[in-house]
Amino acid sequence: MNTIDDFLAILRDELGLQVSTQHAGLKLDQVTDWDSVHLLSLLTILERRTGHSIQLAKMLEAATLEEIYAAAVAA
Amino acid sequence: MTPSPVTSVLSRLLDSHRAGRLASDYPAIRDMLADLTDEELVTAGQLLSRLDPAEVLREHPGTPVLNVAITGYGTLSPLAGSITAELARHGLLARTRVSSAGSYVFDLGDPESSLYATVPDLVLCVLDPMMIFDEVPVPWHPENTGRVISEKMAVIAGLADRFEATTSATLVLNTLPLLQRHAAQLVDHRSRARLGAAWHEGNARLLRLGVEHPAVVTIDLAPLVAEGIPAEDPRLSQYTRAHLTPQLLARYAREVGHLARSRTGQAKKVLVLDLDGTLWGGSLDENSADGIEVAGGYRGEAFHAFQRVIKQLGSQGVLLAAVSKNDIEPVRAVFRNHPDMVLREEDFVRIIANWDPKHDNLIQLATDLNLGLDSLVFVDDSAYECGLIRHELPGVAVIQVSAEPALHTTRLLRDGWFDAREITEEDHVRVARYRDELARKDFLDSFDSLDEYLSRLEIKVTVAAIRDGDAAIPRVSQLTLRTNQFNLTGVRMQPAELRRLLADPTASVVTIRAADRFGDNGLVGAVFMRRIGNDATIDNFLLSCRVFSRGIEQACLAAILREARNTGATRVFGSYRATSKNEKVKDFYLRNGFTQVAANGTSATFCHDLADIQVTPQHIDLTNRLGENSREYHR
Repeated sequence: MNTIDDFLAILRDELGLQVSTQHAGLKLDQVTDWDSVHLLSLLTILERRTGHSIQLAKMLEAATLEEIYAAAVAA
Repeated sequence: MTPSPVTSVLSRLLDSHRAGRLASDYPAIRDMLADLTDEELVTAGQLLSRLDPAEVLREHPGTPVLNVAITGYGTLSPLAGSITAELARHGLLARTRVSSAGSYVFDLGDPESSLYATVPDLVLCVLDPMMIFDEVPVPWHPENTGRVISEKMAVIAGLADRFEATTSATLVLNTLPLLQRHAAQLVDHRSRARLGAAWHEGNARLLRLGVEHPAVVTIDLAPLVAEGIPAEDPRLSQYTRAHLTPQLLARYAREVGHLARSRTGQAKKVLVLDLDGTLWGGSLDENSADGIEVAGGYRGEAFHAFQRVIKQLGSQGVLLAAVSKNDIEPVRAVFRNHPDMVLREEDFVRIIANWDPKHDNLIQLATDLNLGLDSLVFVDDSAYECGLIRHELPGVAVIQVSAEPALHTTRLLRDGWFDAREITEEDHVRVARYRDELARKDFLDSFDSLDEYLSRLEIKVTVAAIRDGDAAIPRVSQLTLRTNQFNLTGVRMQPAELRRLLADPTASVVTIRAADRFGDNGLVGAVFMRRIGNDATIDNFLLSCRVFSRGIEQACLAAILREARNTGATRVFGSYRATSKNEKVKDFYLRNGFTQVAANGTSATFCHDLADIQVTPQHIDLTNRLGENSREYHR
């Protein structure tokens, strides 16, 4: 996972969310079908893809998809 | 890199989701999910959790639905998707409802709770270690922790009582994994041992609830965790109260899936085994009987161990059959004479060895046993044969074992295809009963006419009414769960539901036992009656597929009609409701003197005026015990 587009592709392919670049900056409650439950699955998926441990607290504090991505790639 | 076939399955599912077709594709999803890995099933669950059950039912009104209420101590929302996916694997549709974390005491303890209001079929009350450790003070020690465990278990036992008094659903509990991050907070081994003992006593109490309460099933998480699945992710537990990992919940959901399947009458009954490479190593065709690996040597011992597992399954009512591409004589010689074989000819209901395509042999086997193809589980080490069966016979569960025989057992048992709520005495003698049946078939072939055959069969039938507490209750429940073809309304009943029914003074249940010159058939049928005033109603009529079309059903129906007339009834109603498998009995009442009084597309009601009741067929020796144990009817 090298770019936010890769991240969005994971959301589309693994979680089935219909998201594209235009949704990246939206507040999470404005993203169609987004549910905080997705973070639990995302943690496992993203750690598998990136191979490093992610700080879940940072992901939980994120307000947008962009911020979740930033938390996921912050080593 | 070319995508693996499984990945392409997942992408088909994804395409279906994106195109908004998940609901219309629902019947095909069962087959799509058949071979996904555990990880892929979690993804599939994510997609399927978006599915609107109402939409599936609009598109496919016949889909069997289960209401599954999920409650417990921690955050359990990831479980909903996994449950949906696991039920979909069995062709079932889950209508899930997830309670917020920690609400299980209120959900189960208050008969007016919104959980009970959903009229659940299954209630999953997921327990986890934090329900104990959130309550202990610091500093804690084995004694005060033990007290918390005892208190919690007493609460749960009380909830199980309340549950049984409130609903006829099934309550699923689970044991609590003991985590190293808790145990290791005690620095001395003696204290750790005391904690472990108190902890496991708590788990034993949970497991006993599943033994003592007919409506409770306790899933032991210890064997699932021992497969190598992490019990918790401390981050998810700390930050989101998801105290069990999504992986463990997904594995737990698989167990629940099989429980759901057995509730809905789709029990698997026959284990069909390939021989070369599956039951023994090497090829019998290329080696002599001495050359196959069945004991001695590393691989031989592994095949030997696998055969012991098969024998163990067979002892509990799973019918064993062998289907092999070989000549029959050398195969028979191995089963009869090879000194190291665990399995022998008498362990099997059929040993089929020929060069026909295996799917043809499976169709013939199902026909001979009078069972549906979807009651078969097929095991083979050949990818070709497994692929062929999946393609030709999609209802058959296919398990492909690998070239490593030490992994055969794990592979076979990874899915609980033969899981049942409980087994009955009938299960222990099932192989013998089916073998008798095949002997009857050979006997039939020696007669010119069916009548001549029937008259020589010396059939004895006993009908009797049962009461609450009767030892036959588990078997009658099992008949409702396993019988598909001769099942007039398809109503399934757990033992607890049956006991509840027997407490109703207007209801009665008649059992049918049969025997003939080849042996005892045991308890083969049940009739569910209701009596209000001068009207009697047959709510359901069930007969094991092993014994129908021999006049037993006519003899029993006539006995019931006579009993109704003798106790003052003036009419008897009979109901039929179509299921996917009971087409052949839709005219049962019409053929036996009833007239149709109401019907819509899928169900019909018939009435008998009791003026002219058919006589018992001559070839049947009927013992009528209906009067002995009958109820005072409310008039």
